[in-house]
Amino acid sequence: MTGRAEQGRTGQGRPVDGGHTTGAGPGRVLVAVYGIFALAAGARAAVQISRQFGEAPLAYTLSAFAAAVYLLLAVALGRGMRRLALVACGIELAGVLIVGTLSLVDPEAFPKATVWSGFGSGYVFIPLVLPVLGLYWLSRRR
Amino acid sequence: MIGPLATGLIVFALVIALVSLLTTALNKSMGTVLLVALGVLEIGLLVQAGFVVAALVGGEGPADTATLIGYTAGTVVIPPVAAFWGVGERSRWGPAVIAVAGFAIPGMVGRMLQIWQGMG
Repeated sequence: MTGRAEQGRTGQGRPVDGGHTTGAGPGRVLVAVYGIFALAAGARAAVQISRQFGEAPLAYTLSAFAAAVYLLLAVALGRGMRRLALVACGIELAGVLIVGTLSLVDPEAFPKATVWSGFGSGYVFIPLVLPVLGLYWLSRRR
Repeated sequence: MIGPLATGLIVFALVIALVSLLTTALNKSMGTVLLVALGVLEIGLLVQAGFVVAALVGGEGPADTATLIGYTAGTVVIPPVAAFWGVGERSRWGPAVIAVAGFAIPGMVGRMLQIWQGMG
């Protein structure tokens, strides 16, 4: 709880004024992480799809979809579009849980890794933590 | 790619990340030191990108060219964007943005080294 007290001291507990509140303070860091994941997943998907799409169409399509969701979240949080961010966070959480489970239950369907395979184990499980953090952050900045 | 340069970049980026985290923990906003450090890191990453491109043009380099180019471009883009995004936040969370970039760069440079050595 000390964190909260300090935030008050630095003037971060400023009143909610609609607009950019979800992209300020700690939200700024979330936007940065989502931006990097959009870049990472997007570049990965672009390379995979352009070179060997036939090898694992489902996995590669999911990679691209994940990248799109991350990009959407970075923009929505940065611009203070709360409802859109909330929906995207939900999709992201569902995606990582469903794909993570499927990739363990049915590895055949995911011969090539996506960001969400194994609950994001290839990315130190950050993809699993991110949507939870995002939802928590959105619930705090109501 | 040059091993020592890549290793140096990884270590330097990690140092930047840790100093940034410390700055956030101490509840301070972005200082000039972090920005200058990011600038130096960016110069190093550009030099590395130059070597990668030169090797690829010269016909050397690994089989997985596309992925390597992707990572190379990513490492060059991230520090300036992080600096821009971090400076805009005049609180302890500004340096936290730099910390995110500082942790991302070592991962990417590490992957570049793996691809370069054909382990990717």
